[in-house]
Amino acid sequence: MKILILGAGAIGGYVGGRLHQHGADVTFLVRPARQQAMRRDGLVIRSTKGDITQKVKTVLNAAEGGPYDVVLLTPKAYDLDSAIEAIGAAVGPDTTVVPLLNGMRHLDVLDARFGRNKVVGGLARVGVAMSAEGHILHTSPFAAISFGERDGKPPRKSLVEFDATIKKAGIDGGLHQNIVQDLWDKWIMLCSLAATNCLMRGSSGDILEADEGRAIVMETVDECQKVAAAAGHDPGEKGMQTIRGFLTVKGSRFTASMLHDLEKGAMVEADHIVGDMIARARKAGLATPILRTAYAHLQVYMHRRAAQAAKTKG
Amino acid sequence: MKILFLGAGAVGGYWAAKLTQSGAADVTLLLREKRAEIVRKNGLVVKSPKGDFTVPVKVVTRGSDGGPYDVIILACKAYDLPSAMDSIAPAVGKDTTIVPMLNGHAHFATLDAKFGAEKVAGGLARISGMLGQNGEILHSGASGVSFGERDGKPPRKALTELDAACKTAGIDGGLNPNINQDLWDKWLMLGSIASMCSAMRGTIGDIMETQDGEAIMNEILEECRKVAAAEGYAPSDKAFSTVRAALTAKGAKTVASILGDIEKSGAVEGHQIVGDMLGRARKHGIAAPNLRFAYAHLQTYEARRARGGLK
Repeated sequence: MKILILGAGAIGGYVGGRLHQHGADVTFLVRPARQQAMRRDGLVIRSTKGDITQKVKTVLNAAEGGPYDVVLLTPKAYDLDSAIEAIGAAVGPDTTVVPLLNGMRHLDVLDARFGRNKVVGGLARVGVAMSAEGHILHTSPFAAISFGERDGKPPRKSLVEFDATIKKAGIDGGLHQNIVQDLWDKWIMLCSLAATNCLMRGSSGDILEADEGRAIVMETVDECQKVAAAAGHDPGEKGMQTIRGFLTVKGSRFTASMLHDLEKGAMVEADHIVGDMIARARKAGLATPILRTAYAHLQVYMHRRAAQAAKTKG
Repeated sequence: MKILFLGAGAVGGYWAAKLTQSGAADVTLLLREKRAEIVRKNGLVVKSPKGDFTVPVKVVTRGSDGGPYDVIILACKAYDLPSAMDSIAPAVGKDTTIVPMLNGHAHFATLDAKFGAEKVAGGLARISGMLGQNGEILHSGASGVSFGERDGKPPRKALTELDAACKTAGIDGGLNPNINQDLWDKWLMLGSIASMCSAMRGTIGDIMETQDGEAIMNEILEECRKVAAAEGYAPSDKAFSTVRAALTAKGAKTVASILGDIEKSGAVEGHQIVGDMLGRARKHGIAAPNLRFAYAHLQTYEARRARGGLK
């Protein structure tokens, strides 16, 4: 099967690199500067599961090298529009688009552009970052992606094949029977973590030091759970226990990557991760007082960042 | 009259400089060694839109020197109150009046317990400014003070004299027959703006740019208003709408000084300005969800500051 990976960033670079290493037919759709660097240095992965540097196929235009069976999308949410623009020509009648983004809103956007039948659900659980010189730094002991049909029907042939391909490449996860629930579970966790870490500007452990820190974290999780339940995807008590447990480890230095982005002045996925949760809550008539406040905090940040950029430019 | 100032930051420094320059009072500053050295060498250096000036001033580093004083003005931060009380203790004679210029209300119980309520008047400052790199006072606008008897009785002689001295020196405000109301009005404003600017990490104008910023600001103002009312100091409608207009002004560059402290990882008056307001809301059974998250933000900041960062 032919796989196109949009970008060779942290997640796309890692997954695509492992697939290529194990014999899959992988092409990376990249920008000219990245193509030059990859032609010169190869795709460099430094990983807890073993380092590798290899030459891989790259194209600058999605019309080249196709048609593709699977197009893997791993942009930041705020780059989704340009990502869709970029892959347009690669999506043929039999192509399946597998987005590995957090949140849910991108699915509506992708459905509108490519048709719902071409777009499946997917998410990544890989602790990976990109170094300044473009190396893929995989630091977590795990590397998993999951994907599946959103309507819960038996998976299409390309997903079954894709499942076999990633397993061969040593990537965990694979086909998921209830991918939409998995997306909601991860979104609840991530939204709660990002909202509280950013609103309070501290790690989960720091927040638990505040008199009401624990209560506020719990209420944030509840707000998200209600939104999920209204959409028909309540994680259930067991799922919620996992999420709550993860967010309330005393002394935890764990922080949302959104807080790191915010403290280094980078773009944040605030609209996608927090703003959209609030929008869904409002549509369902639910109050989300803490998410609302966290989103105001993030919007202040984005506003200041934009003002700063305009000032530097002007 | 003899006045001792504890602290020569923006508030104490500006006020003391004006009183000294005009000759309206016999002013002494009680300072820590480091600050004392700078002020002895350079005098009080004031940079102000109302005119720059430098004035030499008497400095002591021990409360036992130079007294007795008629008035002691406490111009320190709330978190320095315990050490400030120890410093002034030897300067407090039987006829001394202490005028604290701290934010919030929590300091009164502490001061009353140590020195006796009859010695402690109410006071607050509306002097904006900060200290520059060389210890100069960068005064940026308002230059008012307000003080008075907390029990509403006619003012003692020391306060009447202090009022006269302020007027001679060109300091706005002065004796206020209803200082408690003034304290609550200022706290309501400060509690709201400090909560929002710190928890949102932005100016009023930044906050007003967001989807729910104005609603959250209005809610927090209401929470503070309810607390003030429950304590017997509801603001007048006029005072409240003035504050609300200032705190919801689109495009306003207004910002609470606590944000500056946070951004340079300094100490903050989180408990005195926000935590105590929240505590009083609880005591009166007033729901204050927005003060609650703001206080959690400040406590998280303090926890993180205590352990030295995010790493």
